[in-house]
Parts: sequence; C-alpha cells; structure tokens
Amino acid sequence: MSTSPPAPHIAETIPDAAPARGYWSEVWLRFRRRRLAMLALVYIIFLGLVALFAPAIAGTKPVVCKYKGEIYFPALGYFKREWENPVFYRDRFRREYPNNLQEKDPESWAIWPLVYQDPYRRVREGEWQDRPGNPSGNQGNPNEINLFGTDSYGVDVFAQMVHGTTIALLVGFVSMGIAGTIGIIVGALAGYLGGWVDIVCSRAIEVVLCVPALVLILAIIAIIEKPTIWHMMAVLGCTRWPDIARLARAEFIRLRSADFVTAARAIGVGRVRIMFRYILPNALAPVLVPITFGIAGAILIESGLSFLGFGAPPPNPSWGTLLNSGRANLQLWWLIVFPGAAIFLAVLAYNLVGEGLQEATDPRLRSAES
Amino acid sequence: MLSYIVRRVLIGLMTLFFITCIVYALIRSMPGSPLTLELMDPSRKIDPEDIKRMEAIFGLDKPWYQAYGIWLANLVQLDMGRSLLQKQPVSWLIGQRIGPTLLLSLTSLFLAYLLSIPMGLYASVRAGKTDERVMSTLLYMLYSFPAFVAALLLQIVFAVQHDWLPLLGMYDEQHETFTFGEKVRDVFLHSIMPVTCYTYASLAYYSRFIRSNMMEVVQQDYIRTARAKGVSEVKVIVHHAFRNTLIPLVTMIGLTLPTLLSGSIILEQIFSWPGMGRLFFESITARDYPTIMGLVLVFSVLTLLGQLLADILYAVVDPRVSYS
Repeated sequence: MSTSPPAPHIAETIPDAAPARGYWSEVWLRFRRRRLAMLALVYIIFLGLVALFAPAIAGTKPVVCKYKGEIYFPALGYFKREWENPVFYRDRFRREYPNNLQEKDPESWAIWPLVYQDPYRRVREGEWQDRPGNPSGNQGNPNEINLFGTDSYGVDVFAQMVHGTTIALLVGFVSMGIAGTIGIIVGALAGYLGGWVDIVCSRAIEVVLCVPALVLILAIIAIIEKPTIWHMMAVLGCTRWPDIARLARAEFIRLRSADFVTAARAIGVGRVRIMFRYILPNALAPVLVPITFGIAGAILIESGLSFLGFGAPPPNPSWGTLLNSGRANLQLWWLIVFPGAAIFLAVLAYNLVGEGLQEATDPRLRSAES
Repeated sequence: MLSYIVRRVLIGLMTLFFITCIVYALIRSMPGSPLTLELMDPSRKIDPEDIKRMEAIFGLDKPWYQAYGIWLANLVQLDMGRSLLQKQPVSWLIGQRIGPTLLLSLTSLFLAYLLSIPMGLYASVRAGKTDERVMSTLLYMLYSFPAFVAALLLQIVFAVQHDWLPLLGMYDEQHETFTFGEKVRDVFLHSIMPVTCYTYASLAYYSRFIRSNMMEVVQQDYIRTARAKGVSEVKVIVHHAFRNTLIPLVTMIGLTLPTLLSGSIILEQIFSWPGMGRLFFESITARDYPTIMGLVLVFSVLTLLGQLLADILYAVVDPRVSYS
C-alpha cells in the first residue's frame, strides 16, 4: 500500500481554478500591462527616492561622520535644522565641514554626499579638496563640477533641483490628500444623504468651481502674512477639491441604491459606517483618477506660483523658484532648461499614471477585454 | 426649456452672490490696503486728515460687510466703481484690457480647433499604426508641457539668442509712428510667441478629445452599417462618425468661454501682455479692491454662463436631451 497521500494527484487533474482575484489586484494587473504607465510609476518612485535621499545625493554636510569619538549624521540637518547636532555649531564649523573636521579632530572620518554642492549657498574655493569656488554672475555654465550650472549667486543648480524634489512631491501628495479628503466627504454627504444637504454641497462645489483657481489661490496666499510651503499646500488642497467632490457624489448616488447598501441598512448599520466602510471602498477607484491628475495640476500650480514669486519663501529650493531666477536673466538658459524639464517630466509621469489608472478602472473597457 | 433657463439663471445669481461675498471678505482681510503703497512713499507727506478722507472714499473705514453692501448696491446700478490704482472706472479698465486678451485667446481657440479636428480625425483613422502612436505620444507630452516653461524657452531661443521676435509686450516703442500696415505687422510679430504658448496645450487636449470620442463612435452599429452599404471610408469618418462627436465638442465650447477672458495670468505676466490676467495680477499686488472685484465678477459670470450655454447647446444639438 502506498503511503503517499493521493491529494497531489487529484489536484493535478482538476483544471487550475484560479483563486478569485480581488478588485484591486485586478486593477493592478490591467495597469501593469500598460508599459508607459508602468514606466511613469517607476519614475515617480525614483523621484520619491531622490527626495528621500536628497541630502546624501547633493550636500555639503557629511552623511555619517565620526567626530571626537562620537558618530553624527549632520546631513539630516537638511530635513530639519534641529536634527543637525549642535556640537558643530558650538565648535564653530560655520557649515563648512571638510576642513574643519580635519583641523579640529584629525582622527575624524566622514562619508560625504555623492556631489559636494549646497542648495542654499555658494561653495567657496578650497572648501572641498582643491576645487575652485562656484562661479557666480552669468559665468555659471554647466561643467563637470556644477552639472547643471550655477545661478547668479553661485549656488549649484543640481543641488537645488535635487532638494527641490521634496517640495514638488510633497506639494502633490499633501495638497491632493487634503483635496481628496474634503472632496470625498463633501461628495459622500451630498450623494448619500441627498435632499437639502445635497443642495448645499452642490452650491458649495459650484461656488469654488466658478472662481478661477489661480484667482482664489492668489487671494488666499496674499492673506497669509508669511506664507510657507505648508500654507501653499493647504491653500491648494482647499481649492482643488470640487472636481473630486463631483465625481464622488455621482458614485455615491449610483451606489446608494445598490443591494449591499440596502442589506446593510436593513441590519441596522449606521449612516456614517455605510458611507465610509461600505460605499467608499467601492467608489474609491474612480475618485483616485482625478486625484492623480490633480497631483500633476498641483505641481504645475506650485511651480507657477513660485515662478510668479508667490511661492515658498526664498531659502526653499523649488523648481519654480529656479525658473523665476532664470527669468530675471534669460542668458542663463540652464536655469530654465533643467528645472523646466524636471517639472515637465514629473507632470507627464503623473498624467500617464492617472491615465493608466483611468483605463484600468474603467468598467466599459473591462467588459470589452474579458 | 424657458422655465429651465429661468431657474438656472436664478440659481446662478445666488451663486454669484456667494462668490462675490466670499472674495470680498478674502481681499479685505489681505494684509495692507490700497493706501499702504502711497503711505510708504517717503517723498509724499500725507497728513492724517487726508488719510481719513481717502479711507472714507475707499470704504476702508467700514467693516467689510458694509463696504460689500455698498459695492453690491452700486453694482445693481451697473457701477463697478473706480480703480484705486489707476483712478479710472473699473469697467473702462476692463474694456481696455479685454481686447488684447481676446486677441490671444480667440486666435488660439481658432487655431486649436482648426488644427485639432484634422489631427484628431487622422489619428482615429490610423489608430494603432506607428505614425498615429508617435503623433499621440508627442501630443500627450505637449499636453503635459508647462506653458510657462515653453514661454521662457521660446523667449530664449527666438528673442535672446536670435533676434527674430520681440521679447515682451504687445507694441513696439515706436508703434505710434507706424503706418497701419506696420502696426498690424508689429502686433502680429509680438503675438506669435504668446499665441503659440496659448495654443499648443489646448491643441493637444482637443485632438486627444476628438480621437477618444471618435474611437467610441466608430464602434457603433450604424458605422458598421454604413461600411456594409459600401459608403466610402472618408464619408464614413467625416459624415457618419464625426458629426456625432460634435456633441461633446460643442459643449466644450461653452466650457472654454471663461478661459477666453480670464487669459492666463502667468503667460500674460511673462510676455508683459496688457490683458485681463495681467490686470488681475497688478490689482492683487496693489490691493486694488474694486478692480479685483470687477474682474472676479466678470470671470464668474462667464463661467456660469458658459456652463449654462453648454447645457443648452447640449439639448440643441442632441434631440435626445431635454430639460422639460
């Protein structure tokens, strides 16, 4: 008698019944088939990595260093001033690490960023080995030291662009996160409750939709005494939600009378729970599409505002601010070509992902395929 | 239909009231006032009584809701007030700036439709072929290309590196001395770059729009019927298919109405084009309340009108739609 269990044999004979795929994995499967959309997604992830590791890519502060017997991470100071250990301030480093480390502690060692350039200040002569200082004025053509050239103050453009990635990505995500939250809540209330709530919400949507976006944003930004990049994200979020709300409202109206909602109501599930636990997961996919396009729009608006001089305050390196300084002197073409290309590629990538998502979640296309 | 329009107009008036109210409150809470600029000028000594008098004229001594009430009452009498900056009636200022903006936006709208319809049709005929893919990808990239970056690049290439086109503005310095023919040529040369920047993005958008609509229509049964009858391919595309994609195209004209006038604030700023967008930018920085309000009013009236027009046109071109 054979001791081996017969189960594997049976399993082989039964035609492989694919486990029922969830909705999202099916969307992902369809999304993955679109090569351009995947490429764009990879590019966005790449941008995210650049933003995350910006201080290690370009900077003048060591990523890791050993100084007087202790290990420090001064590069974190680029994210937040306080994260740079005050010991360097006390020992009068004056933000110039390479020579000071050697002078004040010959035993010290450090791992440096890939490119020794600072997004906030000009690198002076002799600061890094025997390298000459950054050229200023209109002499800063791109060369092997300053890959993308320098601006008229001698600050490296490549370093500014690497550090500006953080702002561009944050603006997109945070502002559309705010806009998405407002839009979904307003749309859910209007669509699910209907009646006078719907009338009030629809009026609100129309009012915000009617004022040209830039008009509203400029007016609100002008109110804030010292606008920071976070204010700008909040303002963008508060003005870009109507499209999302309209779509969410339509989805909620459609699903309001679905069987599973009626069933949930029959067993006494609360209204808020029905809205956000039962309907929202089913309405999320179509709502994600305008959010993705909105991220592209937010990046455009942020760089446009920075370009007009309404953006983040000067020490913040942003792609739009670079364009603005390029506009002041059109001879410095590298101040326009490189940041312009960065904005273009980021916007293009988000648009492609948005389109991929749109086609992956479109029910009409789904039925045509299967 | 008539009752529908009346109802929409009434709702629109209510919306307008909310918009102007909110914007008035917003601009009144911006730091600084129209007087700040004049007070900062050290060469002019303004005594406190004059300031009081000016504040009274500008309505700054009253809380914003009272000042808004006065603005609204004047508006009902068709008076948009006087610009604080330029000391001219707001309606006159807008009238001055409307021409240059329309010159750009109408030209670019015309060009965009003129070029995008054949391009969209071509793309739908050649769907899936290599040339169509290349064209569509290029158009898509163009659509994502920020207009202000394009404007700066054009300026660098055509005005700074080669002196082919004028860099800024709408007129040459000696415009007044020109003959009529030279004046036309002058404005034409100045408008080439702005019009290009205005046009390319909408061109890409419209042709993609036409193509995606066509792709939906050509799958319909009546197209197959037409082909089966032996109607020529050109006639099928233009006569049977394209006519039916006109519906969304027509409604889009309604929705583009507000952008015709609002212009692009950023583009007009880059090219120093004396249009409405620039006027808005100037009046925001100078805290010129009446002008801001006048412009916001014009923009929002047009947006509402455009939406209404789109809905009405929808019913006109598509007999299946009715609002009664």
